[in-house]
Order: sequence, then structure tokens, then C-alpha cells
Amino acid sequence: MDNFKKKFIEEATDLLEGLEKALLALEEDPNDVSLIQQVFRVMHTLKGNSSMFGFDLIDAFTHEMETIYDLIRGGKLQVTREILDVTLASVDHLKVLLNEDSINDPMVKANHDNLLGKVAKLISQDKPVEVAKEPKTSKAAAVSVSNEVEHTYYVLFEPVKEIFNNGTNPLYLLDELHANGKALVISHLNRIPKLSEMNPEHCYTYWEAIVVTSEVVNSISDVFIFVEDESNIEIQKIADTNLLKDLSFVADIQNLGRVQRDIGLTAVLKLIDDASRRQNLNVANVIKKEKLNSKDTTISSIRVSSDKLDLLMNLVSELVTTQARLSLFAEQNGIAGLLPIAENVQKLSRQLRDTAFSIVLIPIENMLTRFQRLVRDLSNELGKDVVFVTEGAETELDKTIIESLADPLMHILRNSLDHGIEDNEIRVKRGKPKQGKITLKAFYSGANVMIQISDDGAGIDSAVITEKAIAKGIITADRKLTRREVLDLVFLPGFSTAKQVTDVSGRGVGMDVVKRKIADIRGEVEIDSEPGVGTTITIKLPLTLSIIDGLLVKVDDTHFIIPLSVVDKIFAVEHAKVTSTFNNVVVLDGKQVPFFYFRKEFSLPESSLHWEQVIVVNFEEKSVGLIVDTVVGEYQAVLKPLGKHYKNQDIISGATILGDGTVALVMDTNKIIKTFAQHEAFKIEKIVNE
Amino acid sequence: MNQDNLSKINSYLSFKLGEEEFAAHVGKVLNILEMTRITEVPRAPEYMKGVINLRGTVLPVIDTRIKFGMTPTEYTTNTCIIVLDIEMEGETIQVGALVDAVQAVLEIDKGAIMPPPSIGSKYKSEFIDGVANIDEKFIMILNMDSVFSADELTSMKVKSDETELKESIEEIG
Repeated sequence: MDNFKKKFIEEATDLLEGLEKALLALEEDPNDVSLIQQVFRVMHTLKGNSSMFGFDLIDAFTHEMETIYDLIRGGKLQVTREILDVTLASVDHLKVLLNEDSINDPMVKANHDNLLGKVAKLISQDKPVEVAKEPKTSKAAAVSVSNEVEHTYYVLFEPVKEIFNNGTNPLYLLDELHANGKALVISHLNRIPKLSEMNPEHCYTYWEAIVVTSEVVNSISDVFIFVEDESNIEIQKIADTNLLKDLSFVADIQNLGRVQRDIGLTAVLKLIDDASRRQNLNVANVIKKEKLNSKDTTISSIRVSSDKLDLLMNLVSELVTTQARLSLFAEQNGIAGLLPIAENVQKLSRQLRDTAFSIVLIPIENMLTRFQRLVRDLSNELGKDVVFVTEGAETELDKTIIESLADPLMHILRNSLDHGIEDNEIRVKRGKPKQGKITLKAFYSGANVMIQISDDGAGIDSAVITEKAIAKGIITADRKLTRREVLDLVFLPGFSTAKQVTDVSGRGVGMDVVKRKIADIRGEVEIDSEPGVGTTITIKLPLTLSIIDGLLVKVDDTHFIIPLSVVDKIFAVEHAKVTSTFNNVVVLDGKQVPFFYFRKEFSLPESSLHWEQVIVVNFEEKSVGLIVDTVVGEYQAVLKPLGKHYKNQDIISGATILGDGTVALVMDTNKIIKTFAQHEAFKIEKIVNE
Repeated sequence: MNQDNLSKINSYLSFKLGEEEFAAHVGKVLNILEMTRITEVPRAPEYMKGVINLRGTVLPVIDTRIKFGMTPTEYTTNTCIIVLDIEMEGETIQVGALVDAVQAVLEIDKGAIMPPPSIGSKYKSEFIDGVANIDEKFIMILNMDSVFSADELTSMKVKSDETELKESIEEIG
């Protein structure tokens, strides 16, 4: 049973997330009927599931919420800010209720009762709202609404044979149909086979019904909401009057039911036609409203536990490693026929790797709802009018990256809302639109994904930062910093620019935590800001964490991998040329390129090679050369961590195992260049000082 | 085998660093490897020898001699890597310890283990679980968790004065 409950909680969490998303969309467009339908449907499913698994509180609570949206759907209530506020708060509450023990917490209980009260108030509001909505409708029309016009519907319910397997009793559904009004049900038993051929677990009966109700058509289709996917259900309005009052029609139908195998819609319509001719009844135009037969829908996605995906990724990694060994073996032994096979395996494993990767990639859209909600609630709380715009929500990232990204992004958004966007009056005074804007933009850039969060707020005043850094003793007053360096100060621990500590941000955890968390997933974060115009924070992330395409190089006895994504060009240079330069610059393709000599940086003996290789890599939009002994070739590197003992060696981002079983180290070129540059600067400073 | 069962076992693996003998509880030892090619990680502390491939995973290797304040290990046919399970920051991780030679598996009764000398020892007492006298030789039983999870080797050594160690051993004897 616990297993089922776990499954339910998983599904309910998804449903609630979907609900939240639909609600936020509804706020943008309160009149979108399909969204209202969607909200209702999700609530209904949630209600059904929760009662099935014994989450009675959720069941009861959702029922109340559902009533609101039923009223909205029926046009008796209108979507208002208040309703959305209460619903969103309820969604949060439901998330809490998923933990069964939570209701024992008095806080939760209080919130529960409070929300129930609010919901009840909203439901009781339906009358005045209706009046307010249609104040100009004539009295007669208003009366007719309250008199409840009855309509007649034709319903065909042909359950799938296996309907009992789901625990559904079709008779209960028919009872529900009766509950909607009056119903004339004709059951068809003609498909029941001989006893010897009958499977007692199958349902052979199907039903036709004439239903008279004053409710909307949805109330009929809702009866079948849990079986509509598998069963054949047809619901059509056949008259705007109560046909069951016409006794001859009833008799005719019953007759037909006895004589014919099934009546069918056409026959019913013919009867109505006759009846209307006889009785001069007003026959509604039959519009094919709903034909719910979804037998032909195919499953387009499946749910897989993330453990299985992790396992798959591990296996693919192992395969890639083994393939490297095969390739090496084939090359070394020169057995005729083995080489093409090895190449084929390489090609296939590469494709398999890419496919496996694409499975664990999920669009960042999945976490955006949370942020939308955050901006909405926070801007309300702060009394600011802020719109949250997202671009590139379809951009995909590794699921583990997305998981670790939510917190830092949340923090950045909070900062933007709290410190970035000015109060409404100030904005107007500064000649900006009253409504503030925060944009989250995601896009691909090479093997990286960039996420940019920009606001059109006050921007960062470098004077304030410098002052604060001096006050906190981070920098000395006489140091001249470039604007970039000043902005980078906000990433230092213990640096919070908020003038006063607010509830929203500035709780001591600052941008340093953001930076560290993003660094944990091999990402980088940069800040750019213009006073009075706004701030942009750019996060650069790797696409995946586990396998990278790299360039295998050799320095002395050690193999290194340089990520292919940063490699621009490779040049051969004479050893004498690079050792004799004074300012560490080589001329390549007519351009001066600064370089670092690995042997020197790693304190290795000087090379005896005549020719060496310069790998030109991109570093912050500049070209930097890295000099290695030899280039071995391209290599798919399965990243393995170096372990805790090497946590301070951030110039190496991991290791990988080569075909011959030795270990190659994967370089983080950005960190390497930064470290080397500091080292150089330090050396130069030392020379100058001496 | 769980920790309770493990602690009941009285087996210790003894190994040599130079002329001194040390021992580690067998529950900590996973494997003994022959010396293999170690990939050096640039700009790492000196005692971090590098990494090796242990059946597909990357295993950091520590030069135990440097950790214990001796000269770096010189590779001989006896040089071994002992693969250990170490508790570090609440996680069990594996690490390779480079030693001069692996000696034997010894059965040492709990009663035969004396507390580490509180004064005059060359090594910090938190790294030593006890001292055992086996065949007129003193074997230091190490607390592998503290030895190999400590960031700095310098903390290993309190005093380097060899004579003081001898004195303290004489005292115990």
C-alpha cells in the first residue's frame, strides 16, 4: 500500500504543479475557457485519486475548490484576483497536506480552516457576482436562468471490456447520471456471449441513455471522466426541452430498445423529428459536441524513475570507456577486419551516448512555474508591480543541473525584486514605466547553456559597493578597482548590499552562496549592471555533467583532456620560439596570442622536443594559447570525480580512464588560465618590488 | 559485514614505513595492490601522490611516508598500495595508501593493545589507537580515519625528536 501512496504523492505533486501553472496562465487571461476547464479537470482528477488512496482531507478540500471552478465554468462566477489568490494558497496548502501527518500541526490546521472559510465565502458569492456580471440582461432572461432550462441529451456509454480491472462499477456511473436529472437508460445485453465463452471479468453490457438535466453538458461528461480514455462515450444534446415529458417519445424509445440491438443516435434523432412534427417541439440543432473516443491516442511519453536513468547513464559511461579500449586494441594490433568494427562501435556508442543524454535533459520550463509564482507573491508582498518574462523556456539541461539550479536562481530573483526593482513611485519619478520587468532568458551557446536574469531596476552603484567593501575590510581604501572588479566584489562571502535586512533577501547568505552552488555544477556566474538601467546576471552552465568531448594531449608523462568546446585552433610551434619570448606572447595567424607553458606552470623539466603544440582556447572572449608536448587526438571523456582529497585542485575538474587503463586529467581551462594569470601577475609584482 | 561484527575481529594488517612498523584494522583494508603507474595531479600537496585507475574508478593515492614526516617513498619491488575505506566528513570514501612494504596479518587481542603514549610521542595521539608489543617489536596501531582524512600532514608530527620516542617506548616496555 505504501508503494501506491508513494505513487499517488508523486502524481499529485505533478498535478499540483500543473495546476499552479494553469492558474498562473489563467491570471494572464481570465476568460480562457480551456484554461478554466484544465483547472477543473486537474482538481477533479486530484479529488478522485486522493479519495481512492484514502487522503480524505485532500479529497474534501479539493472538492470545495472544485466547486468554485465549477461555478466559474457554469458562468456563475468570474475569475477574480481574490479567487486566484485563494486557489494558489490552497495549492500550497495541498502540497503540505500530501504529508499525511502535517494536519496534526496546529499551524497547518489553522491554515486549513482559514482556507476552507475563504473558499466557502467565495462559493457563497456566486449570486451577487452574477448580477454584477450581467446587470443589463432583461428581467425575463434572469428569471429564465433561475427557472433552469432543461435540455435533453443522448448518451452512449460503451465501456471497454476490461473496465472492471480498474475497479469501476459502470452501474455507479449510471446512478450518477440519474443524479443529474431524469434519465431513461436502456441497457444492451446482446453482446453477452455464451456462458462457455464468457470471461467473468469482462463487461459485455453497454448502455444508451436519454438524460434530461438543467446542468451544463460538462456535468454529464464529468460522470465519465475516469473512464473516458478507454471507453467509447458519446454525448449529444438532442433537444432544448425536456423530451422525457413526451410520453409517446419515451414509449417509442423503449420499444426501439427492445426491438433493435442498439438504438443509435440517428434513430433517436428520427424519433425526435417525428415527435417534433407531432408536438411541434423545438429541436435543437445537433452539433457534434463531444465525441470522446480516444482509443487511437498513442502514449507519447512515459514516466521512468530517475534511478533507472542514473543506471542507464552509468552503463553508457562504462560502454564508452570500454569502447576506448577496443579502439586502442584494434589500432595496436592491426588485425584485418577489427578496425572497421571498432570504428563502428565507436560511432554507435557515440550515438547511444547522445541519445541517453537527451533522455536526462529536461526543459528548464519545469522550474519556471516556481519562479513565476515567486515573482507574483513577492511583488505583491513588496507592493511592487513586476512582470516576469521568460524566453527560451524550451532550453534543455541535465536534470541534476536543474535540481541544483533552482535555489541559486530563486536567490537571484529575490535580489532583483527586493533591491533591483524600485518602488512604484520612484520608478515613475525616474521616468520609467511603473511596471518593473524581470526577464529570464535561456539559450544555447556552444556546449554551454546560458541563463540570463535581467531586471530594469536601479542597477548596482559601484560607489556603494566600494564603500561597503572598504567598511568591511575586504579592500583597502587606496585600491583602484575597475568596474568589473567592483561588481565581482558582491560574490565575496559576507557581502550583502541590502541597506537593511529584509524578510526577502539579505539574510546573510549572499551571492557568494549562489556562486559556490553554481560552481558545484561546473557553472560560472557573472554580473553586469548599469546604475539606473538595470542588472543582468549571466549563468553559464555545461550541458551535461558526465561525459564530455575532449582533446587528449600529453604533457611530460601525463595525459590531459581539454574540453573540445573551448578549443579553437591548434598550431605547432618551435620549442625555441616559446622559451625565448620575454612577454609570453606568440604570433599565430598574424595575431598576438598570450600563452602559458604547462611544463613551466607545473614545474616539470623542460621538454626536449623540437616542435610543441599550442592549443588556442577561448577564454572570456579572448584567445589564449596553452602549450603541450603532443596532441593525441579527440577523446570522449567519461568524467569521474577526483575525490575529496583533491577538492582544492580546482584547475582539474575530474579524471577519465583511457583505453590502456591509465588515468587522464580533465582540465578546467578557465580556472587554469585564471590561476596561471594570477601566478604570473604575482611573479611580475615580485620582480617589480625587488 | 557491519561495523559491530568488524570491531569484534582482532586482525590487523601490519606494514612498514622505513624501519618502523604500523598496523591497520583489517576492517578498513579493502585491497592490496602492487605498485602501478600513478598519474600525478599538478599543483597538489606533496603527499597527494596522484590518482590510479581502480577497476574503473579513480582512486587518490597518498604517500604515507610524507604524511608521517619521512622522505618521499622510493619505489621498490616491495612498495604497495593499500586500498582503505576512510570516513571523511560523514562519507565513506576510498583512498590508496602508499607503503614501503606489507608485512602480515596479525591477531592482536584487545588486552594486548596498550594506550598510545600520552607524552613524548612523535605522533599526535589522535592518530594512534594503541601500541602493541609483538615479538619484542612495537607496532603502532593507527586510526586510519583520522590519518587519511586530515588535510595537513604537519599535524601528524608533534615532535620530531627521535630520542624522546625511544624514551617513551622504554617507559612502556
